Amino acid sequence: MNELTEAMQNINWALVAPIIVLQFILMVVALVDCLKQNQTNGPKWIWIIVILFINLIGPILYFIFGRRSN
Amino acid sequence: MMRQWMVLFKKEWTESLRNFKWLWLPIVFIVLGVMQPITSYYFADIIENFGGLPEGAVMDIPLPTGAEVLAGTLGQFSQIGFLVLVLAFMGTVATEKTSGTHIMVLVKPVSYSSYLTAKWVHILMLTLGSYVIGFSAAVYYTFLLIDQVPMSHVLSGALVYAVWISFVMTLVLCLSALFNSSALVAFGSLGTALLLSILSMYVPELMMWSPGMLSSHSYSLFFVGEADEGFWLSMGATVALMVVMMVSTILLFNKKELAKDSGA
Repeated sequence: MNELTEAMQNINWALVAPIIVLQFILMVVALVDCLKQNQTNGPKWIWIIVILFINLIGPILYFIFGRRSN
Repeated sequence: MMRQWMVLFKKEWTESLRNFKWLWLPIVFIVLGVMQPITSYYFADIIENFGGLPEGAVMDIPLPTGAEVLAGTLGQFSQIGFLVLVLAFMGTVATEKTSGTHIMVLVKPVSYSSYLTAKWVHILMLTLGSYVIGFSAAVYYTFLLIDQVPMSHVLSGALVYAVWISFVMTLVLCLSALFNSSALVAFGSLGTALLLSILSMYVPELMMWSPGMLSSHSYSLFFVGEADEGFWLSMGATVALMVVMMVSTILLFNKKELAKDSGA
């Protein structure tokens, strides 16, 4: 545990912050779009979970497979 | 003719704005691009902290050179990047065909060539744009964390790789116009790209002409600023293949659609 906190402190957050911000933007856009859709490919609640809990890949999967064209 | 083309081109843009491709494709490439320099930078730390090395073991992991990290970034693009691009664009024509929207477009006196070239230019702009943004992020982080690479090496290598991306995306579009199944398009284009790269790796003498050589040429541009021999051959062959693919797709697509119309 000690090692973990030490490693966390070693990370330069200024470097990692942009990635976290981008992932967050992607998640929010995917979530808002998913909620606005009348119908998604497959149950909507599953897509919401996928978007929220699978980092980076989740929103992308939603954009590729979850949206109904139209 | 030109007006008609612009209308089709604009239609492509409104579509990609609506399905957020212009947003998430660049983000994917930025994240992929930034990952490589950051993980190489922290690699030694990560091993030290979590690698379970015995106490007192001294391990000297050298930091990779900037050129190695940039080549690694392109390696990431070739794997995850291509997968995402192909999945994003596999349905470009195929889904329009199955849903019948293309008939609405094509019953109007629109030529197949403007229909396909408008899509082609749009796809290339979107993918190459995302690639440029993502690779710039990678270069920035590499210069910051690892070391500098001469700018001329970076630019020439990046340009050569852009041609390889264009080739793969042209392949995706052409397969998408010729086949109805998106899955077939995805497997066909990823398989071809993979096959070309693997063959170029193992039998380079036979594959001098291959578009798959372009990525290794761009690596050597990063490392030494010069491409391997046979560079212009593979460059020329790639551009020629792109033109052949587009022209033959337009001709075949034309014939196929006509056959369908007369059959109905």
